[in-house]
Amino acid sequence: MATSLGAPRLSFSPKTLQALRRTLPLSFSKSLHSKPLLRPSISHSPILLRLPRRRLSSRPSASAGNNSAAASSGGDNYDFDLFTIGAGSGGVRASRFAANFGASVAVCELPFATISSDSTGGVGGTCVLRGCVPKKLMVYASKFSHEFEESHGFGWSYETDPKHDWGTLIANKNAELQRLTGIYKNILKNAGVTLIEGRGKIIDPHTVSVDGKLYSARHILIAVGGRPNMPNIPGIEHAIDSDAALDLSVRPDKIAIVGGGYIAVEFAGIFNGLMSEVHVFIRQKKVLRGFDEEIRDFVGEQMSLRGIEFHTEESPQAITKSEDGSLSLKTNKGTVSGFSHIMFATGRRPNTKNLGLEDVGVKLTNNGAIMVDEYSRTSVESIWAVGDVTDRINLTPVALMEGGAFAKTVFANEPTKPDHREVPSAVFSQPPIGQVGLTEEQAIEEYGDVDVYTANFRPLKATVSGLPDRIYMKLLVCANSGKVLGVHMCGDDSPEIIQGVAIAVKAGLTKAQFDSTVGIHPTAAEELVTMRTPTRKIRRNSSSDEEKVKDAVKSTT
Amino acid sequence: MARKMLRDGETEAYDYDLFVIGAGSGGVRASRTSAGFGAKVAICELPFHPISSETIGGVGGTCVIRGCVPKKILVYGSAFRGEFEDARNFGWELSEDINFNWKKLLNNKTQEIQRLNGIYKRLLTNAGVTMIEGEGKLAGPHEVEVTQPDGSVQKYTAKHILIATGSRAQRVKIPGEELAITSDEALSLEELPKRAVILGGGYIAVEFASIWRGMGATVDLFYRKELPLRGFDDEMRAVVAKNLEGRGIILHPQSTLTELSKTDEGIKVVTDHGDVLVADVVLFATGRAPNTKRLNLAVAGVETDKTGAIKVDEYSCTNIPSIWAVGDVTNRMNLTPVALMEGTCFSKTVFGGEPTKPDYKDIPCAVFSIPPLSVVGLSEQQALEQATSDILVFTSSFTPMKNTISGRQEKTVMKLVVDSATDRVIGASMCGPDAPEIMQGIGVAMKCGATKKQFDSTVGIHPSAAEEFVTMRSVTRRLTVGSKI
Repeated sequence: MATSLGAPRLSFSPKTLQALRRTLPLSFSKSLHSKPLLRPSISHSPILLRLPRRRLSSRPSASAGNNSAAASSGGDNYDFDLFTIGAGSGGVRASRFAANFGASVAVCELPFATISSDSTGGVGGTCVLRGCVPKKLMVYASKFSHEFEESHGFGWSYETDPKHDWGTLIANKNAELQRLTGIYKNILKNAGVTLIEGRGKIIDPHTVSVDGKLYSARHILIAVGGRPNMPNIPGIEHAIDSDAALDLSVRPDKIAIVGGGYIAVEFAGIFNGLMSEVHVFIRQKKVLRGFDEEIRDFVGEQMSLRGIEFHTEESPQAITKSEDGSLSLKTNKGTVSGFSHIMFATGRRPNTKNLGLEDVGVKLTNNGAIMVDEYSRTSVESIWAVGDVTDRINLTPVALMEGGAFAKTVFANEPTKPDHREVPSAVFSQPPIGQVGLTEEQAIEEYGDVDVYTANFRPLKATVSGLPDRIYMKLLVCANSGKVLGVHMCGDDSPEIIQGVAIAVKAGLTKAQFDSTVGIHPTAAEELVTMRTPTRKIRRNSSSDEEKVKDAVKSTT
Repeated sequence: MARKMLRDGETEAYDYDLFVIGAGSGGVRASRTSAGFGAKVAICELPFHPISSETIGGVGGTCVIRGCVPKKILVYGSAFRGEFEDARNFGWELSEDINFNWKKLLNNKTQEIQRLNGIYKRLLTNAGVTMIEGEGKLAGPHEVEVTQPDGSVQKYTAKHILIATGSRAQRVKIPGEELAITSDEALSLEELPKRAVILGGGYIAVEFASIWRGMGATVDLFYRKELPLRGFDDEMRAVVAKNLEGRGIILHPQSTLTELSKTDEGIKVVTDHGDVLVADVVLFATGRAPNTKRLNLAVAGVETDKTGAIKVDEYSCTNIPSIWAVGDVTNRMNLTPVALMEGTCFSKTVFGGEPTKPDYKDIPCAVFSIPPLSVVGLSEQQALEQATSDILVFTSSFTPMKNTISGRQEKTVMKLVVDSATDRVIGASMCGPDAPEIMQGIGVAMKCGATKKQFDSTVGIHPSAAEEFVTMRSVTRRLTVGSKI
């Protein structure tokens, strides 16, 4: 099937689709294609790609003759109703749900390894093996050193300062990852999904080859995720990426982290807590581009207070290795030497190479992501994609949502668009960040008249520990409707606190409704329901220069 | 607006528009907001002391000086022991001898509450509220007499009087009761007990059990019921009991203490089962009573209920139109944020020209046991009692990620109670790390009638514990109207 592949994409309602499904006994994709449902996009719209119409039910299996490994469950000639390439968060979720809806499903995945490559991966994917889970375990491990410091103010002392044994942590972490990959395999098995180990490649719109073996499927789902990306500078072979950083055999004595995104700040916190000397090199003035500006300032300050050294507005140019094995990083501003490790956290790229996508006609974006419509369908009607490989919002729960929506759409007769609005997210920096909805900058751009409520306070624990830890909170409210547009927080427990708040924001609650909620005392979270006076009121009709904003601040405080 | 009203004559006859007796959470809030509306306000409070009595108290009240704040500080302090245990499997090597210096913690805690006491005083000063030190009593519907620390008595008249004197810990009448302490003293003990016996099953009892256990004491907890925390969701009560036991607290359900006596080894404790224990400290956490005895309520004819709590209407007005009461002294829902709400509503009603009733629906609360419990809305049992349609219960019990490495055998348990007819979430509870922080946002969502569907449509924050609240897909059980659990 063809789409214009920009927004707006499909323009029919789920109801229409359901009606179509009811009237047409053929597959969803067929019914879609048999009616001219697409409205060509006006804003972007290159060519409306038309694929040859195919009669699905009578299409012979591409694998007929050379493979009959898996039995077909439907009344057609495909080996599977769904073949999923990639058993990460999105792929596992989609496969399980599809199987629960009665589809015969296979999923292929590369062999397990903690470091991903073209030939290694593992069931569970980035989240479980090289992302969220190991990262959070490392965050837990590293946070203890801050807790040891806090404990002094609460009367605790040690004969000798706690030491950290790197090997114990890595061994225990890897044992946990092995356990989790096993659990994921069991989940697939229990759902009746056929798991095939190997590298999947698309041969034609209904055929996948796994290391040479061919499998046919009515639908193919690509869920191969993304992988760290490093710039091509001299000496880059001496650098590590986040995969390697999660599985180092020794603790770095002194590490340079290049990048200002969430991965960079998370690893800065991890290594700092595990007692490495940490230098972060960022191209901009602040970390975490795209986040609320004040949160960016705040987290940078707090991280500096915990001993992380930031090198701002520095771009990496070369890495050199000296005879003693130590590394130097040359930037536009100079060279810093003596690093045991240099880590690049400079973005991730969709894993779309060598998948056979170009040959089969699946359109990619400039950065190599698979273009999909709102239902996660690619430019080829039988091929779908979810998760990081589509580069929409690259978060595990979003891949889960996309995978679940895909399965409902294709196998449950219930066309479902994943809803990418008001997706909450967290950065497990130390201190961590939680956020949902718009940043102040976005809110002003979109709504013009915005009331900004902020709080910046020393939490109770810090008053006794004596440490300089603080908490920052921000609530953005539409001045006209009273609706809460965004909530941002940096400080202990922010990710846990924001989850419940996100339900409220998603439900479209107003500031008055926040205020009517009684606090839980004494918590940090109660501050979110006790912000009575706006810190500033931004109004569209007042000029946007700084002075006016400052006046507004004065008049409301 | 309010100011103008007040200037219209009548006010001039009184010393103040409002006289508040008691500068705790409710009293301070009411004073400040009333002053903000333009009222002329005075407030009296007893001199500062960590342990309260008839003649000592302090600006800030129970919450700041003898409740929430010092308690939470001690919980923070004691929680480190668990952290040290958990740290080992994450690769941390700690020396065998970890020392805990109770005096240092006590000192830092006292410093912090003194700082807060000062902040509260400044808040009142900055709001233009007159502070008077001494014990306030009613002298009439518009008159208060204050006995100052030097014994002198001063009388003040006011258009409105607000009673916000709070409550105090109660003792059990058994032989040797004077050997036991209450939570006031427990927060300021000179020596950390090695052997603690606690009587009571409420939140104060389980919180102190966690605190002392975390600081290394052996703790024996006695309570009348099968499970602690009566009034909370039964399933969550069982989880708390299991966790307390898992952390090494010795539980004695369905038992009580019958006699205390002093011996050379410590306090001899006899139970109703005939057991004998020896303890360094015996804590009575057996409820609190409103501070109404010395207020001379009869002089003005203010009515109280059987428990001694002041009777008030929905606007916090007593049976005497010029006398009002907020907070624990009215024994409605004895929580700081509720006293704050009542105080604010009082001010709006009386001085803001905006009659406002405090709203007691879906008030979240927390028990700072280790790990903590937090709830909002109805328990499963309450939901079933009030049900007009079937109740759907969603539960999740899981090993928190940290414990997968630390090896701690403790599960986090969450529950959502949903009305099947409206799909509204009518109750939520959680026992596990960070529960109180997590429940605040859930409380916001529930306060506005969020449906289960709206919970489900919220994307999770991964990896967090809280994300479980938005990923509970299948019903654990369905309770039909009229059924019994």
